[in-house]
Amino acid sequence: MKKNILAQAVALALMASPLAASASEAELLKRLDKLAAEVEQLKAELAATKKKADTVEKRQDALAAAPVAPVAVAAAPAVAAAPVSTVAATSPATMLGPNTVLSSYGEVNYTRPRHDSSKAQTDVARAVIGITHRFDEKTKMVAEFEWEHAVTSASDKGETEVEQLYVEREFNNGLRAKGGLFLIPAGLLNTNHEPTAYYGVYRNFVETAIIPSTWREAGLGLSQTLDNGLTWDAGVTTGFDLSKWDAASTEGRDSPLGSIHQEGQMAKSHDLSVFGALNWRGVPGLLLGGSVFTGKVGQKTPDFPAQDARLTLWDLHARYTPGKWDLSAVYARGTISNTEALNQTFAGQPTPVPSSFYGWYTQAAYQLWKNSDYTLTPFVRYERFNTANGYAAMPAGLAVATGPNEGVWTTGLNFNVGEGVVLKADYQKFKVDTARDRFNLGLGYAF
Amino acid sequence: MKPINMTVLALAAGAASNAFGTQYLTVEQAQQAMFPDASGFKDASLQLSAEQMKQVEKLSGLPARSVAWRVFAAYKGDTQLGYMVLDDVVGKFELISYAVAVNPDASIKQIEILTYRESHGFEIKSPAWRKQFVGKTAAAGLAIGDGIASISGATLSCTHVTDGVRRIAAIAQVALKK
Repeated sequence: MKKNILAQAVALALMASPLAASASEAELLKRLDKLAAEVEQLKAELAATKKKADTVEKRQDALAAAPVAPVAVAAAPAVAAAPVSTVAATSPATMLGPNTVLSSYGEVNYTRPRHDSSKAQTDVARAVIGITHRFDEKTKMVAEFEWEHAVTSASDKGETEVEQLYVEREFNNGLRAKGGLFLIPAGLLNTNHEPTAYYGVYRNFVETAIIPSTWREAGLGLSQTLDNGLTWDAGVTTGFDLSKWDAASTEGRDSPLGSIHQEGQMAKSHDLSVFGALNWRGVPGLLLGGSVFTGKVGQKTPDFPAQDARLTLWDLHARYTPGKWDLSAVYARGTISNTEALNQTFAGQPTPVPSSFYGWYTQAAYQLWKNSDYTLTPFVRYERFNTANGYAAMPAGLAVATGPNEGVWTTGLNFNVGEGVVLKADYQKFKVDTARDRFNLGLGYAF
Repeated sequence: MKPINMTVLALAAGAASNAFGTQYLTVEQAQQAMFPDASGFKDASLQLSAEQMKQVEKLSGLPARSVAWRVFAAYKGDTQLGYMVLDDVVGKFELISYAVAVNPDASIKQIEILTYRESHGFEIKSPAWRKQFVGKTAAAGLAIGDGIASISGATLSCTHVTDGVRRIAAIAQVALKK
């Protein structure tokens, strides 16, 4: 195992050098010389160790005989890669090296309502740690752990959650199967929800109030990408639990599905749901897609008057990124059937279960300025949504008025520093509930 | 930079780039796909001089990153058809291995994805996306938003491969052009 240790030492020496090789010529050559000398020394030591390590040697030979072993040059850091690769390529550490990737994203937001500065607020909205581990060339595990609102305890408002936890296996024909807790491929944002991936401090309303991002379910999924740019997804998962509906709270008005999602938390599973999604990226820069998710939501809860209630949520989405433009649009619509009897039990309460809810937005962003690491992208988005677009018929006198069609303009800019950091500023203007007009500032990162 | 460091550790510690991850094409298959008329391939691996690296940085606007580049020259009889350059870049979390075929005049002939391991962005393998590179040189049209359109949901993978191809186009210009 001595060689392994040597190789690790070389690797560590490498890591100590900066990733980018834009160093000046002189510095470059100096470093080259130094590393070359070190490598010579290591080579000599390796040669001396060689005789003693017969078993390792055999394994090494087997590895060397394996098909396709491009010299480990490219992604290795810079100048040192060339001389070192000769050592690396003969190292037995090939199959022993770590294959676990740590990732993370987070956002800190500041909000100041235009008409009530006493409600100005700063929030460590999300802190997420992700781990991806590859077991072998076709099997991997993806996990994401999240804290929302900084502090979680019985007396605090934060939440701690497992956001994703699944195992994925790829088959020879390109078919991918996954099992566990994973994101539902609905809309544009749900599967790309890092703060660096969307415009504006807050996620848009349509993909929070109508599509309840970050929306994940536990189950099994299949996916495949074809050569023509078409990707399909299908699966069977847990669904929603309508018995969680609280007609006394306004939570169901903010996000009907957000108030009855189960998130893999001892999720009632009498009624499973199915989903399917199609996304076409056959023309570079263009994405056209849609998704459907449907399942019963009564879950055979004892004495629950909406056993046959079914939720169906579908969406259509498009994104086009010609040149410096980034244009996108999403339409999403949900229905919950057979809620009459349940809503009668809610008579007199402010938030019965809607029979339909919908939303759409359209957004344009333009990369106005770019200077090496810095990118400035102003954007504007208009959304329209109604979380209580309709109710099932109620007996006379018990009917509740449907919700308003809220419209929101969001204008602002994303200022990216490199690929991983974003500063955001925007202003949001509400058509109906003008008390919500607000200025937002945000800091986000993702890697 | 953590994921890069970890990957680099795996790489530098000797992980040949195809040890992990699904392989779509072997080097030999890529050679055949890119130069179907070739009768033979010769190892033409490069060691860039400091001066050449400087030129590459200037042409591509990117760090030259490596001294050594794995290159094959494609021949039909005595006629040289072009070169195939192998490279790996980190997509979002994982390594993408790809090959770039360049014509003797240093323009891009074709690109092929050898391995792709990310959870999103498999469309990077589609002919429509790869076709965007054909015929271009380091001089123009090899950047996201300027000649190359990104894939929604796989921006980092697209950006890093596009940057990688631009760097190779510059290397071809500096060190391979006849």
